Amino acid sequence: MTSDTLIQVLLSGLLMGLIYGLVAVGLSLIFGLMDVVNFAHGEFLMIAMYVMFGLVVFSGIDPLVMTPLAVGALFVLGALTYVGVIRHAMRAKANVGMVQIFATFGLAITMRGVAQYFLTPNYRSLPESLLGGKTVALAGIVLPLPQLAGGLISLAAFGALYALMTRTDLGRALEATREDAGAVALVGIDKDREFMIGWGIGAALIGLAGSVLAIFYYIYPDVGAPFAVIAYITVVLGGFGSIFGALLAGVVVGLAEAAMTLVAPPAMKSIGIYILFLAVVIFRPRGLFGKF
Amino acid sequence: MNRRELIAGIAGLSLAAAGRAHAQGVPEVTIGAIYPLTGASAQVGFDAKLAVETALDVVNTVHDLDLPTARNAGLSGLGGAKVRVVFADHQGDPQKGRAEAERLISQEKVSAIFGTYHSSVATTVSATADRYQVPFLAADSSSPTLQRRKLRYFFRAMADDEQFSKVMFDFLDAERKGGRAVEKIALFHEDTIFGTDSSNIQRQLAESRGYRIVADIKYRANSPSLTSEVQQLKAAQPDVLLPSSYTTDAILLIKTMNDLGFQPPALIAQAAGFVDKALYDAVGDKVDGLITRAEFSLDLAQRRPMIAKVNYLYRARSGKDMNENTSREFMAVILLADAIDRARSISGPAVRDALASTDLPGERTIMPWKYVKFGPDGQNTGLNPVLLQYIDGRFATIFPPDVAVRPVEWPMR
Repeated sequence: MTSDTLIQVLLSGLLMGLIYGLVAVGLSLIFGLMDVVNFAHGEFLMIAMYVMFGLVVFSGIDPLVMTPLAVGALFVLGALTYVGVIRHAMRAKANVGMVQIFATFGLAITMRGVAQYFLTPNYRSLPESLLGGKTVALAGIVLPLPQLAGGLISLAAFGALYALMTRTDLGRALEATREDAGAVALVGIDKDREFMIGWGIGAALIGLAGSVLAIFYYIYPDVGAPFAVIAYITVVLGGFGSIFGALLAGVVVGLAEAAMTLVAPPAMKSIGIYILFLAVVIFRPRGLFGKF
Repeated sequence: MNRRELIAGIAGLSLAAAGRAHAQGVPEVTIGAIYPLTGASAQVGFDAKLAVETALDVVNTVHDLDLPTARNAGLSGLGGAKVRVVFADHQGDPQKGRAEAERLISQEKVSAIFGTYHSSVATTVSATADRYQVPFLAADSSSPTLQRRKLRYFFRAMADDEQFSKVMFDFLDAERKGGRAVEKIALFHEDTIFGTDSSNIQRQLAESRGYRIVADIKYRANSPSLTSEVQQLKAAQPDVLLPSSYTTDAILLIKTMNDLGFQPPALIAQAAGFVDKALYDAVGDKVDGLITRAEFSLDLAQRRPMIAKVNYLYRARSGKDMNENTSREFMAVILLADAIDRARSISGPAVRDALASTDLPGERTIMPWKYVKFGPDGQNTGLNPVLLQYIDGRFATIFPPDVAVRPVEWPMR
């Protein structure tokens, strides 16, 4: 193997890893805030991709321009999901944990079924866009523009999220709610409102990930599944609730996956991630940067 | 109620009763179809349903077509019994396929089962059907290991990947003889039985006919990314790429190849995802010149006019043309209906024996088959696989020379 191939494969892994991080961070955020694992995470991603598809096809405007709209739409969907489903599940009298699991799991199946029924199982792709199918070549290394832009957008989103959580009143309120959802009421923070916003932000982040993916990936009702598995692994690896952990773990997963294809048959490329995952679960159950 | 109304009422009731008695006298024939109706390949199941409905229309009502059972309403051998197909969803999972096969046999009392698109699912479904003595017709699963297990109740009218791959290499041999530079071959295949079997055969054929395999990449199906895999293909610089992939991976492969600026002089696909309309909707502009093996092509209608007639019926129902898969699913229903009709029975063993004695000339099918006669292993012996090339938005037959409608374009655009 030439060094060109090695650098190419690792760079591709890095870019994909940044996107994996972005796919995972919403899941991590929601868990960190209220201890709920969203089993419909992959379906939110799927909806985000369809929203993007719809916006672009109906407006004829480039996906890059439409991204804020898709993110906004997913924010609303996330907030509505909290108000309509999760809030009720959290009020269960017994087995709250199980009720939450089944609520989000049921939501996932419903979302997939509805998509399959109304949008058909057909595969769709975004029409030609500013970035789609374009590449930049640097000293023999070819980088697809959609992935490159996706990686940079992910980094920017992590930066913005970090600033939001540490520099704004909203972020501080979210952090306080995360620390002690019972006590924040004493200082006038409406827990319900914070949770709703948290779900909104989590969904908005998956909306951004979906917008980025839609530029170079195909869209169909089950598209969330392979990404959701990676998102769960990424969150466990990075540590539940840790934003920085999700970013780093995403990159680790992307690189591990790419590196495995160089030393083993590509069909085995996920093995490396699973071994890493098992090692973390056994030796450091709270993940690399987990606070719990 | 006056007297006239009373008489009309009684007449109506007795007519209804007579109708029911008639229906009771003729058994309804139930056939099971196991397809991916949800999951990554759901579109295949969705299209299969439309093909099956078209076939049921041909079987259950009178049609002026020279297909078995078409000219009568229902099955004349069973007093005009109507055929019903019950669909089951395997989601691409062999274990779900097995469970659904058991349900169809024990609860729906099906006389035969067909399906399943995925060869991995066909493996479990055919073994289950064999155990219950219910015939299984592999309508669209191409792995050659399926008929090597000596199952008594297994049948397949279509070619398997061995026969298809042989045609591909016959084509490569012909091109090489014609002076084309064809030496380096790259294999790219998904990791279930379809991809694995396909690549095993291609590897053997390549080695025995003196080609050099420069890359042999087995990848994980439904991967979020194929960048590293395509990078390795690109580094190998093959003259010909032979992929065996389902639709999702085929779309991602073509997109990634395009992104990384990799285009081999020729790409010869093992059908599956590469004959799915979804691929051409998604990336059709990037695959001009793609070659795929096939058993069906609309341009064959020039030699077999029934193709156009049946395609017209299917098109009216679905809004699209028949393809490799839907044409076989259509024929699966016809072949099973024909066997049950001849068996004059709905019992599994009787239908099995009727299937085994099938002797149908190719002209009475919509496929390029020479005929349908099943060998001792259940595999049709009258096959005629072809190669198609996708040029200017449509498929044209390019090989073998006696059925080609245009010369090959090499390199692909």
